Amino acid sequence: MRDSFSTYHPIINLIYFVAVLACSMLFMHPVFQLIALLSAMIYSILLKGRRAVRFQLLYMLPLLIVMAVMNPLFNHAGVTILFYLRNGNPMTLESIMYGIAAAVMYVTVILWFSCYNAVMTSDKFIYLFGRIIPALSLIFSMVLRFVPRYAAQVKVITYAQRSIGRDITQGSILARARHGIRILSIMITWALENAIETADSMKSRGYGLPGRTSFSMYRFDRRDRVVLIIMLGLIGGIVGSACFGQNAIRFFPSIRMSSMTTGSIFGFAAYGCFCLLPVAIRLVEDMKWKSIESKM
Amino acid sequence: MSGQSDTKSRLSRRTLLASLLILIVIPITIGIGIFVLDDRKYFFISLLILLYTMVPFAIVFERRKPQARELIVIAVLTAIAVAGRGAFFMLPQFKPVVAIVIIAGICFGAESGFLVGAMAGFASNFFFGQGPWTPWQMFCFGIIGFIAGILFQRGWLRKTRLSLCLFGGISTLLVYGGIINLGSLLMFTPHFTWEGLLAVYASGFWFDMVHAVATVFFLFILARPMFEKLERIKVKYGLIDP
Repeated sequence: MRDSFSTYHPIINLIYFVAVLACSMLFMHPVFQLIALLSAMIYSILLKGRRAVRFQLLYMLPLLIVMAVMNPLFNHAGVTILFYLRNGNPMTLESIMYGIAAAVMYVTVILWFSCYNAVMTSDKFIYLFGRIIPALSLIFSMVLRFVPRYAAQVKVITYAQRSIGRDITQGSILARARHGIRILSIMITWALENAIETADSMKSRGYGLPGRTSFSMYRFDRRDRVVLIIMLGLIGGIVGSACFGQNAIRFFPSIRMSSMTTGSIFGFAAYGCFCLLPVAIRLVEDMKWKSIESKM
Repeated sequence: MSGQSDTKSRLSRRTLLASLLILIVIPITIGIGIFVLDDRKYFFISLLILLYTMVPFAIVFERRKPQARELIVIAVLTAIAVAGRGAFFMLPQFKPVVAIVIIAGICFGAESGFLVGAMAGFASNFFFGQGPWTPWQMFCFGIIGFIAGILFQRGWLRKTRLSLCLFGGISTLLVYGGIINLGSLLMFTPHFTWEGLLAVYASGFWFDMVHAVATVFFLFILARPMFEKLERIKVKYGLIDP
């Protein structure tokens, strides 16, 4: 099943991920952290299925535990002393809580990035930045094309060398190494020569001349506008609650955060809606699809 | 002559932009970090500062409307670095990226060195996965290429194996290792302590050592043939020294 949030306009995807990453790096309030962590987990499982579950259990869970344990070993601030370590340093409740919060933050950021990797493909990136930094975007897109091309060309060169007995599988170890370096050398010379040819071809087709258009698959349509307005509204709500200090938490010397009010619940709701936005979009789309299917 | 003055004006424009960023925008960011965010968001603030340092390079490069040939040579060197990182994926830290970035910086100037490094860091993570470490890698690779280019221009770095390998090993160990470990410390424990920094450097030492050895190894093997090929291309197609 295709992810429907990925089919939205690239600018929507970018704004969403920038905002969600900034929020998860900035807010250390436990409720906000929990919302972000759960949403990132759900979305990455929706995007990648079983692989995401394995990734979370095999890598993220141990990382979370190790990081949560590491912090109190180095950090002895805080007033609530639980016990003393053998080297005489105190173990404090605050530093343990802070270690857990920092670990959750880090894991959340990595999970959001794993979603980002699946949604923001390189073509979207090139589309977005092609106008602001055209030359660098061009280099970037050429690099992405060159890498598989070089891999294919190395194979061609290897076959040709093998037919004259100079492959890396032939001869003594020293000879093999020499053959390998030779293949690499041929490859690099070919790449450079070929590149100049490409550059000349670009020039003769008018690269860099004014008035040239570029092709793109993306259109900013009504549903993009609706989602953009919803997103901006929710971001406004989150920033508003941040201004009232509802998502701030102080760990040292003692843990303090603002008490729960209707305002803070409003902030949690806005943040929850924002973090679960792609999941909601996907579920709605799936339901639509099911109902259309059943009518057929 | 005109090429030289062009280089100078480019350098001075970047210096101007960079000093504007360093003197005004970075202090404001740090100020926001201290006063608005309560001085606890080291990673977020350091990420912003890292991005600022890369912006002048991008702006200056875009402003001068680079020719197709220059673009494509940078793209080829970057692609070689990315493919090299991919080819050695089974050996952790044993990567030729820094070696190629240094070669690029020496052959095509400090600015191209920075771009090849930053681009290699960015593009290779499209194959290996983006994360909060991407800007750090981009900056580390880029700044090594930039330093290599400047030192070569000043005549402190020569195209001899000894000089290159020495520079490669030291810069990988100190510049790359020094910055990337600081980055990972800020990522892991946003609460900065000197003991923590020492612990991160100690635990990362052998990884950095392997990385430095790899750089020396690849420079030892690749430097001479790569210089020959790049010089040949420059002479054959009349690519002027940027």
